[in-house]
Amino acid sequence: MVNRPRILLVDDEPAITTNLAAFLERTGFEVSVGQDGEEAITKLASLAPNLVVLDVLMPKLDGREVLRRLRQAGDWTPVILLTQVGESAERAMALEEGADDYLNKPFDPHELVARVRSVLRRARPGQPPLTSAHRLTSGALLLDRGSRRCWLGGAELVLTPKALALLEYLVTHPDELVSRDRLLDVVWGWDYPTGTRAVDTRIAELRRALDDDPAQPQYIETVPGQGYRYVGEVEVAP
Amino acid sequence: MRWRWTMAAIPAGLGLLAAWWMRTDQRPDPILHLRADLPAVITVLSLAFLIVSGVVLMTVSWVRRQAAKRVGEARFQAAEERRRLLRRLDHEFKNPLMAIRAGLANLVPALVDPAQQETAASIESQALRLGRLTADMRKLVELETRPLEQAQVDLAHMLEEVIAAAREQPEAQDRHLQLAVPRVPWPLPEVRGDGDLLALAVHNLVDNALKFSEPGSVVEVRGFEDGTAVVIEVADTGTGMPAEEIPLVWEELYRGRHARATSGSGIGLALVRAVVERHGGQVSIQSREGQGTVVRLRIPTR
Repeated sequence: MVNRPRILLVDDEPAITTNLAAFLERTGFEVSVGQDGEEAITKLASLAPNLVVLDVLMPKLDGREVLRRLRQAGDWTPVILLTQVGESAERAMALEEGADDYLNKPFDPHELVARVRSVLRRARPGQPPLTSAHRLTSGALLLDRGSRRCWLGGAELVLTPKALALLEYLVTHPDELVSRDRLLDVVWGWDYPTGTRAVDTRIAELRRALDDDPAQPQYIETVPGQGYRYVGEVEVAP
Repeated sequence: MRWRWTMAAIPAGLGLLAAWWMRTDQRPDPILHLRADLPAVITVLSLAFLIVSGVVLMTVSWVRRQAAKRVGEARFQAAEERRRLLRRLDHEFKNPLMAIRAGLANLVPALVDPAQQETAASIESQALRLGRLTADMRKLVELETRPLEQAQVDLAHMLEEVIAAAREQPEAQDRHLQLAVPRVPWPLPEVRGDGDLLALAVHNLVDNALKFSEPGSVVEVRGFEDGTAVVIEVADTGTGMPAEEIPLVWEELYRGRHARATSGSGIGLALVRAVVERHGGQVSIQSREGQGTVVRLRIPTR
């Protein structure tokens, strides 16, 4: 097998790395394992992986610090942080640090594979990921994530905090099928069987604000029975 | 404490000593003659009384304030300790559960024997259950501490949505699910807060009502205005619960006698209470075994 994407998996718990590494290998990746933050730094330099899966809580150097050092050194290797995404403070921090995506432990290993694939697809070699950009544009839409404001054709949109967080997640994950459950998990921080209605309500709010026709969407597409997909072209704004 | 009594006893001791000395010293006339203006004496005495009673009253209220402060601090500390414990539990469970799930993901494709596949599936569902439980506990802690979204919430609309969603559940098919909200002369007032969280709270109650009732039962959701609050009631003609269980149902992980046979994490009502209290409201419950239960949420409109 040639050209299998190389993944560096860093976690201080051998029971996790052993099992996850074997699983990722089986799903078509080449996997190296690191036990702590310092090992992550050395292996990143020696192996040049295509992607790093990084646990946050580790001895010596935690995942946050590894990520910070990496980004400060101008290294934009895609990183998936294993953290608590539900809390908004954590989300803001992940943005500051330049993680490409994040997952909550314990997660479905298949979900990790899906995240890894979509991050690899989104990744633009040597460039910062959309998830760490402060200002993004998509057509007539401008999103300033730092000040949590957005504009459509120059006019500022008034959105509820949830709708804005939802838009932010969709814009930073363009062309990716995102399930309602995943949106509930990352934007609301909780999910319950009928909570998916809350997602639909906010999507409707966004569509009204963006004047987006669900039948011919320019921004948010409904994937029947599965979730939503952001279909607009997204670029980092100066 | 003892030195204070000693200090208090010193003037009395000195006085007695002086009196004894005067008596035994054979002085001719150990009597003090005093002439004073009566209104002046009364004024001085009344002022002295005022000062003494003022000092006493201030001391008493200071002591009370200190005691109340200590109780408040102790409560806050207990709540903080509980939150820390829940966070630690979540954290300590997370890695083992992750390892189990990753291990199973490796194991399952290799299994060919249907009996083994079944075993693996049952281990997986138990791991998922534990994962949900720890995640629920973490969410409860988050709910108690993170900033709350503040928006105008149309409760009548919210209740309609929750009922519409609940009607899609299988248990709702053979039960009578009803909603009663006022329309005239004026609708339910709006409240300020997080509409999604309030919907989550009501959803949990309706879900419980459906779970703990037999087919054919009635589940009624009512909303009405009461002074400066909106009251939401979720009532059912279900199994109800014994009186001694009622004070305990709001605690996390508490499962009543009837609840043990039904699936659920045991965190639902604790979550409901946390949501309502974050909105400045109160929760209460009435239940009669064999007759049913009514849960009441009181949410202030201001």
